[in-house]
Amino acid sequence: MGAIEKQRNILDFTLSSLGRRKGKNIALVVVYTFVIFLLASVLFFTHSLKKEASLILQDAPEMTVQRLLAGRQDLIPTHYIDTIRQIRGVQSVAPRLWGYYYDAMSGANYTLMVNAELNDRAGEIIIGNGVSMRSMSGIGNQALRKNDIIPFKTYDGSVLTLKVRGLLPFASELVTADLILVSEADFRTLFSIANDQATDLVLNVRNAKELSTIAAKITQIHPDTRPILREEILRTYDAVFDWRGGVIFMVLSGVFFAFIILAWDKATGLSAEEKREIGILKAIGWETSDILLMKFWEGSAVSIAAFFMGIFLAYLHIFLASSILFEPVLKGWSVLYPSFRLTPYISVYQIATLFFLTVIPYTVVTIVPSWRSATIDPDSVMRM
Amino acid sequence: MLQRKSDLFFSALVAGALLICLMFMDAAISQRLDREFVQERREVVRVLTLTDLCLFTEARYTRHPSMADLHTPFQDHPLSFDHFPSGAIMAVPPHLKRKAGTLQGWISDPRERQ
Amino acid sequence: MIRLQNVRKVFNADKSNEFVAIEGVNLSIDSHGATVLKGPSGSGKTTLLSILGCMARPTSGRIMLKEREITSLPERFLTEVRRETFGIVFQQFNLIKGITALENVMLPAYPNGEKHASLKKRAMDLLDLLNLTGKAFSKVEWLSGGEAQRIAIARALINNPAIIIADEPTAHLDTRLSREFMEIMRQLKKEGKTLLIASHDPIVYDSTVIDRIVEMRDGKIESSGDVP
Ligand SMILES: Nc1ncnc2c1ncn2[C@@H]1O[C@H](COP(=O)(O)OP(=O)(O)O)[C@@H](O)[C@H]1O
Ligand SMILES: [Mg+2]
Repeated sequence: MGAIEKQRNILDFTLSSLGRRKGKNIALVVVYTFVIFLLASVLFFTHSLKKEASLILQDAPEMTVQRLLAGRQDLIPTHYIDTIRQIRGVQSVAPRLWGYYYDAMSGANYTLMVNAELNDRAGEIIIGNGVSMRSMSGIGNQALRKNDIIPFKTYDGSVLTLKVRGLLPFASELVTADLILVSEADFRTLFSIANDQATDLVLNVRNAKELSTIAAKITQIHPDTRPILREEILRTYDAVFDWRGGVIFMVLSGVFFAFIILAWDKATGLSAEEKREIGILKAIGWETSDILLMKFWEGSAVSIAAFFMGIFLAYLHIFLASSILFEPVLKGWSVLYPSFRLTPYISVYQIATLFFLTVIPYTVVTIVPSWRSATIDPDSVMRM
Repeated sequence: MLQRKSDLFFSALVAGALLICLMFMDAAISQRLDREFVQERREVVRVLTLTDLCLFTEARYTRHPSMADLHTPFQDHPLSFDHFPSGAIMAVPPHLKRKAGTLQGWISDPRERQ
Repeated sequence: MIRLQNVRKVFNADKSNEFVAIEGVNLSIDSHGATVLKGPSGSGKTTLLSILGCMARPTSGRIMLKEREITSLPERFLTEVRRETFGIVFQQFNLIKGITALENVMLPAYPNGEKHASLKKRAMDLLDLLNLTGKAFSKVEWLSGGEAQRIAIARALINNPAIIIADEPTAHLDTRLSREFMEIMRQLKKEGKTLLIASHDPIVYDSTVIDRIVEMRDGKIESSGDVP
């Protein structure tokens, strides 16, 4: 009982003491909150995106086979389909036809993809939501609707007009925003791709355990191919937004270390007044450990306050305000980007990581430098 | 009641912890509400045989990172890796770092390697 | 109550500016009395008070407190002894600025883990005793010199110590306040406290409160005698 009461007493004094330099301490909490807010925002954003990717890409093609020519991806001859189909365990092989179309008018890059459903409806397209918002017809900023006509420039400069048959589901924007589905005939006309060529092949296998064996066989038969497994696609999104890599982490660690230096400076530069107070406390009967306890509470109070506020604000930012501060970075030079609301996936592990990355170092940085002052001889106070 | 500063502090702690709990509750509810949309996206991916998220449309290797080859970003110029802002916030897909010509990563059992 | 045996205190030992502040001091302080350390500035009064009050260790010699040898106690126990046995009124009062007078008074008791309510009540009672009830919630920097000193006395009393130590208590007070201070000391002595005061102010050492005067010069005790 006494031990708890002692903690509360010392905490009382710490808080009174912090209250004396209100402006400075509030500024400190604000800066610290911002640092934690940034860290937590990155963590929440990347984690939720990774989780989302892992959920919705679960039904991506089991294996995609590309052909490499002179170091870059090239069209794949469709007769590869027959040889690959012969491999034991392969269930089905299908060609994919897709590519990019740059619209000079809007400056947007679209992904054009052939869809079998449109094959007996040449001249028609189905567009993603992002495409519809970004008008290609040059009429203005009006969204594209069903039956609108869009002109495409073919490989030889002539114009191919295609009619909007419909829009892809709004909810699928995260994967379809820039998508334009076309018929095979129109795709080949647009880009002048011969009938015996495809962009890549996708295949299904009978037993997922045999995927790597089959991949190895394919590269044996066709050394110019490169198989990509679904597992690798999933891992791509795990790695691509790994916040421990990439520029975001560099920026954040810069901010963080700047803050550590600031905190260190604050704590090491114990003012003469603070040193005097530590001396007084020792002279009136506080032990060295009591002084350190006080410093512990001081560091904890500041950092825990900042921790809760930073985390909460980050949650609001990412999941309710659509990561508005990250928008410039995410958009980059893209003209077309999806608008989506991330589903919040947060975990206790993340919160704990943030805690150990922020609250603990700050508290330590507050306590350690006061160690020296805490061991001063109490008799020095007699002469102050 | 709350006349001591330490009481105020502990109340603030409890309030903060409650806020975190609220966050988790909100997340759970949102996940539930979004479940059918996730299902729908998953279905679109399956039907259209899609391989990537449409996050960054500015460059091929950021639009379809899993389909890009390691050197695509370099193909215009050796220094153009970070040509696009989105290229700078994405890490290289791990399967691209697999040594060229080897099957390392696919085959875990050495007996399968020949 | 306290006995010093052949105490010596050297500052900056083994350096060019080595200074012997206390030399060969033998002194015995009885309970319930009021002792004054008298002597010119620089004679070693403050140094001797810090040694008596367990704030500094002597360079050599022994200190017995209630027949217990405390010279070699580890720091932690020494602090505990200091907190429980001594109440100290510093020359510059040494109150902590920015917090209330009441909090200042309560501070020395915080590490004891006493219940807040009872501690606060005791502190208020002490302030009441010293006619400071109205100042309990004032910040200490707004107090006058006399008030600040009475807060410092209240703070020295909060742990109910047996011995009160005061270093030059009247140095910053006018004659009226100095007399008031001695009246408070008289009261405390009546309650059974042992008083140890360093001063070269006649208001202090000529006061009828004082039982014994120890005269110091150049770090040595010149004479020590009971006031007749
Ligand atoms: N920390 C110290 N280092 C060196 N000399 C000191 C120190 N503290 C006190 N002294 C010297 O010890 C002598 C006695 O000082 P002090 O006890 O304060 O005397 P008084 O209180 O009687 O004026 C003085 O000459 C002072 O300069
Ligand atoms: Mg002195």
